[in-house]
Amino acid sequence: MKLLRSTGSVLQRLLRSPGSALALLFLLGITLAAILADLLPLNPYAQKLVNALNGPSAANWFGTDEVGRDILARVVFGARTSLLTAAGAVAIAAVIGVPIGLVAGFFGGWRDATLMRFVDVLLALPAILFAMAMIAVLGRSQVAALIAVGITGIPSFARITRAQVLSLRRRDFVTAVEAFGGSSAYNMFRTILPNSWSPIFVQIVVLCSVAILLEAALSFLGVGVAPPTPSWGEMLRTGKSYLHEAPYYAVLPGIVLTLTILSFDVIGRSLAGILENRSEVATPAKAGGAP
Amino acid sequence: MKNGFFRPLKLLGLALFAAIAPIGATLVTPVAVEAQELKGGTLRVGLLADMTNYDPQQFSTVNFHLIKNLYDSLIEYTPEGEAVPSLATEWTINADNTSVTLKLRDDVTFASGGKFSSADVVATLEKAANPDLGKNVFGTMAIVKDWAAPDATTITINFKAPVPTKQITDLLQFMIPIEAAGIATVETVPAGTGAYLLADRAVGQGLTMKKNPNYWRDNEPILDEIVFTIFADDAAASAALESGSIDMVYGSTARNAVRLQDAGYQVIRGPGSLVQVFRINATRAPFTNEKFRQAFNYIMDREGMVKVAYAGLGTVVALPWAPASPAFDEAYTAEFAYNMDKAKELFAASGLSAAEMSDWKMLVFGNDEPGVVISQIVQNALAEAGINIELDVRQGAEYTDALLGGDFWATFGAVGNAQKFPSRMATNSIYRTAKNPVLKDPHPFPDYVAAIDKVNATSGPEDAVKAAYAELNRVLVTDSFAVPTNTVDTGLIVASDKLGGFTLDIDNLLVARTIGFK
Repeated sequence: MKLLRSTGSVLQRLLRSPGSALALLFLLGITLAAILADLLPLNPYAQKLVNALNGPSAANWFGTDEVGRDILARVVFGARTSLLTAAGAVAIAAVIGVPIGLVAGFFGGWRDATLMRFVDVLLALPAILFAMAMIAVLGRSQVAALIAVGITGIPSFARITRAQVLSLRRRDFVTAVEAFGGSSAYNMFRTILPNSWSPIFVQIVVLCSVAILLEAALSFLGVGVAPPTPSWGEMLRTGKSYLHEAPYYAVLPGIVLTLTILSFDVIGRSLAGILENRSEVATPAKAGGAP
Repeated sequence: MKNGFFRPLKLLGLALFAAIAPIGATLVTPVAVEAQELKGGTLRVGLLADMTNYDPQQFSTVNFHLIKNLYDSLIEYTPEGEAVPSLATEWTINADNTSVTLKLRDDVTFASGGKFSSADVVATLEKAANPDLGKNVFGTMAIVKDWAAPDATTITINFKAPVPTKQITDLLQFMIPIEAAGIATVETVPAGTGAYLLADRAVGQGLTMKKNPNYWRDNEPILDEIVFTIFADDAAASAALESGSIDMVYGSTARNAVRLQDAGYQVIRGPGSLVQVFRINATRAPFTNEKFRQAFNYIMDREGMVKVAYAGLGTVVALPWAPASPAFDEAYTAEFAYNMDKAKELFAASGLSAAEMSDWKMLVFGNDEPGVVISQIVQNALAEAGINIELDVRQGAEYTDALLGGDFWATFGAVGNAQKFPSRMATNSIYRTAKNPVLKDPHPFPDYVAAIDKVNATSGPEDAVKAAYAELNRVLVTDSFAVPTNTVDTGLIVASDKLGGFTLDIDNLLVARTIGFK
């Protein structure tokens, strides 16, 4: 109930900013389109060679591609590819990165040094290069792209969580839980973690935009999702070859991709501002009760 | 007011031009005009891929801009396929077509300064006949028994059996002499008699050639220097051409060529088109089933493929021959036109279940845009027939390894020698009769091997030759281990209108020695 109230309050503050409200509305639209794509009268695979590279019209609002497929349909179904990849990648990054940061920050010492050097190694590798190497090993598929992008996101979650844990580790309420006999696991997951969510949540939003961009970049380079599965990056890759004859082919998916990334960034920045101001610290009782 | 004053003068000028133009046209032939007016200078050429090496026996399309500029052939073909002298001034085939004797030029020197002689041709033949060194020429040497060089300007090549004349001239045209002393290092140091000399090369970026001052052809080459620059893709190369940074693009895609032609650029199409072929690994299920393979003849929307993937540049074919080939048969194109009903009948007649028919992936070369497009067209047509397959898109060497190693179910890949003697088709990996990397040994289609042997062994009379070609064509569509779809222009040239003097090579190699600035 409290969580709902808190979320409602954050949402209200987000909607107060016209930029954030627009971004939220756009993302809501894209997400709904991606989820309900199968119910829409759109087929991203139906070819009609005689209609190849037709410009925008009443029948095909975004025009048609090189084999006569509806570009709007491919943009809508491409949203599903991008958002699913982003969601999966962020989940992988958070599920692995957050515990790493939690353990490293909480225990310190050799565990901190070992885990953070591992994170440093991941951080030292250029994300796109690392993702391409991963895909070379795993093969070209949406799952491979998702895993590759997810792994490149681990360091940011680990570092942010660790920084947050370090700032909370010596706070009185943590020491109090320890004094009452709370185990390390209890302290980490029931006391510290609930108070670290704000920056992690912001990072989730920011990484969504990075993941979408990275997935598009992989597809653009020809190692992402294989055709004919619709993907924004793949559309950009193919569309750039037709820039003279059919500029809309690359430009329209490019605009949708740009707006999506921009929307995530705008929301991420607004959230960071809102959550920073909410410096309230949850006590163990607030976070879930005494040990 | 000013326009009104000049208009009568303009009209007068036009009238005068119209009056004298026909006189000029009757006095000077277009060729003579070009020969007189073309000037030297530096030609800047855009390429879309880097070369592999300087060995002219490694006949890869990425080396097509080098071979006929750094080397010369023993003989050449005109665009119509007529054999003409080059390093060999004459060639005499004996009465029973079992040997050919060549007279070589005695005024030719190699890039090193060494004099060209029959010893160099012998060294080149030895390399070609060596299975480890002969590369693309090795297969062509299968008909050769031995050779002899009685003097420095004469060489005789003996064949194992009577060989059709066209096959003999094909061999001579394919034979590009390498200096004997340079054979061992030819991959890294060019050793030819060509019109140009290698000046320098930057790996992945390009190379420069300088005029050969000792070249043996009169008044050639015209250009002083050629600078080749490698571009990441055709769009970048085309943009460079349009901005004036380069003078021509060699190896342009059909789509960009058509667009630039509409914008006023010259597009030069050679006679040596390739044929796009849907290569099938008939040793892997479900392609071991003959009816299943045959259905692919009907599932190819060839007209649509040429239109959308090749911007209309290309001819629909159902056999691996370009229309200029002696074995080309138009009737097959009509008989094997796109026919979904017929394809479905054959799929049903195969006796395979839907799951069995869908249990394979189509290998796709991701760097080849038209290849990706036509693969998707086939995938879509198969889905219409109830066969749902995935595309296995691979890039660069990963694809080439799979293709040449036969590690695929089916894939599109163009084949060369489509307009030469029909059995030359067997130099392409999927059509090899022995050591076929896809179909392996022993060849699973002995009737195909027999048909090729028959073509090789039939030098006359004309009816017998035609019957041999007809049998080969019948076997090709029956066995259906390769399903041709359309001709593909390789080595397309898109050039600024200030260039002239293009020589069309039978294989569409770049011949720069006659090119100059107007």
